[in-house]
Amino acid sequence: MAALFKTQGMTKKFGQFTAVNKVDIVMEADRVNGVIGPNGSGKTTLFNLLTGFFPPTYGSIDFMGQNITNTSPQHRVSLGISRTFQLVSVFSTLSVWENMVLSTAKVHHQDQKVPWFYFKYAGDSQIRQQCMESLEKVGLSDKVNEKTAELSYGDKRLLEIGIALSMNPKALLLDEPFAGLSDIEIEFVLQLLHELKQHLPIVIIEHKISKIIELVEHLYVMKEGSMIMEGDPRKVIDDPVVLECYWGKGDVRC
Amino acid sequence: MVNENEVLITSKENATFARLSLDKGYARTLVELAVISIIMIIAARFFRMYRITDFMVFIIFVLSFDLLYGYMGHLSFGHMLYFGSGTYASAIFMNRVSGNPILGILAGILFAALLAIFLGALVMKTHGAAFALINMGFNQIGFFMVVSGLSAITRGDDGMAVFPDPLGSIHLGNERILFYVVLGSLLAVFYFLKRLTQSSFGIMIRSIHENENRVKFLGYNTYRYKIITFVISGAIAGFAGTLTTINYGFISPGFINPFYNVNPIFAILIGGAGNLYGAIIGGLVFKFLSEYIAIYVSTWELVLGIALLIMTFRFRTGIVGSVKTLFGKLLKERMGGGTK
Repeated sequence: MAALFKTQGMTKKFGQFTAVNKVDIVMEADRVNGVIGPNGSGKTTLFNLLTGFFPPTYGSIDFMGQNITNTSPQHRVSLGISRTFQLVSVFSTLSVWENMVLSTAKVHHQDQKVPWFYFKYAGDSQIRQQCMESLEKVGLSDKVNEKTAELSYGDKRLLEIGIALSMNPKALLLDEPFAGLSDIEIEFVLQLLHELKQHLPIVIIEHKISKIIELVEHLYVMKEGSMIMEGDPRKVIDDPVVLECYWGKGDVRC
Repeated sequence: MVNENEVLITSKENATFARLSLDKGYARTLVELAVISIIMIIAARFFRMYRITDFMVFIIFVLSFDLLYGYMGHLSFGHMLYFGSGTYASAIFMNRVSGNPILGILAGILFAALLAIFLGALVMKTHGAAFALINMGFNQIGFFMVVSGLSAITRGDDGMAVFPDPLGSIHLGNERILFYVVLGSLLAVFYFLKRLTQSSFGIMIRSIHENENRVKFLGYNTYRYKIITFVISGAIAGFAGTLTTINYGFISPGFINPFYNVNPIFAILIGGAGNLYGAIIGGLVFKFLSEYIAIYVSTWELVLGIALLIMTFRFRTGIVGSVKTLFGKLLKERMGGGTK
């Protein structure tokens, strides 16, 4: 089986600044891949390259053996790449279930080429049923009718994960899913991810290693745009190079 | 224990389902259509009927603008182009090809829609200020085409008179018949937009309003849907234009002048953007202000300007939005008091 993501010499430059520098990775599909690194090390840029937010300056990206280097985000979604954002990105002017409609309808009507089905009433049962199923997975089913703007930040995060799940993804990319959450909410999201990883390849970016050490099975470490280390998470975080990049010189442990 | 919990959840679900299926309610829509008709008919008793006809045509135009600006968040300074192309296409069609007013209306709508497809593919590449201004640019071009470029057909500044044929015994020149035809058109447009904005498509354009990039990451080619919305909006604006042709029986370049694009913008800001009732109420209030205050105050634009300032500073969500929040607050207070 081809690797989930395979990049060769992937580089992204913003003017003179190199955000991601010659990254070669082979992410396997049968494990939870984690990407860590200090602030500004290029983790989110890496995600943006993988999901098609912008094309790389140089290099190539393959998804499950298919070259997707210069394809649009829409195309990558249709291949099954589904992501969340570092700053929660849901539609705050819509209600919770309205947030789910677009992603669900996309899967529901995949075979139909004509866009006219979109003009049917959005609250019709079939799509709503599927929305409810996805909402149940993330524990929001009792808030379907609430205005998204009135949800707590943690619930918004869950909603965003629900949207990502409703797209029937083949890969789930999470950009700092724990940022801004309370300890209880983190516990809930972690539990959810432990369930999801049974049948879904997950790529996760995190700033703090301690939160994902239990979850992640393969860890990548970025620093100043380069991939400096990869491997078993417990070994990686004890590596002196990684320790130095995180905490400076000296023997400090997390 | 587990079973009990499950029962609790499903009953809750059923409740939310029931509440939502009510929203679709045809009964509610029927009531809304009836209320609109009654308001217009009562207004027509107290004021000149042809004026109310004129108001309703304007409201149709405002509704088309609301779809583009209120729902999708694309403010255009050149929507008069589609209104104007509707007026001119229908007038020229009725004068030169066939006097049948139905065919004239269809020709006007078709022309406006085709123009919107053609230009929409271009203008929808932009957004924000660029979108507003590029539309104004096209509108200006259209205006000058009418005034001078194509004046052999459009008669330039002189304008032209239009005499639609009667349809059997129905004569659209009759004030009363025209009133009901336009009222029917308004109800049809309202119903169409209501269904449209409640569909997945409606959710899509509201999502594009809020965060277009996010919609792309849901796997949609937003460009395509933006063009579709632009064409629908342009076609409805063109429809309003054709009704204007029939209502006035005379058209002039004023109907395509980008200057008058401020009218629907004012109307929507007064009524409340992103809301069909807002468009209707805003359109009515704007027209009453501009037509009836003008009788008593010669500088009526001043009144309008001050009203607009108050609206934008104090009531950003327009009349409808403000009333909604007020009712929401009252309801909350009452509920809060009840539990205490």
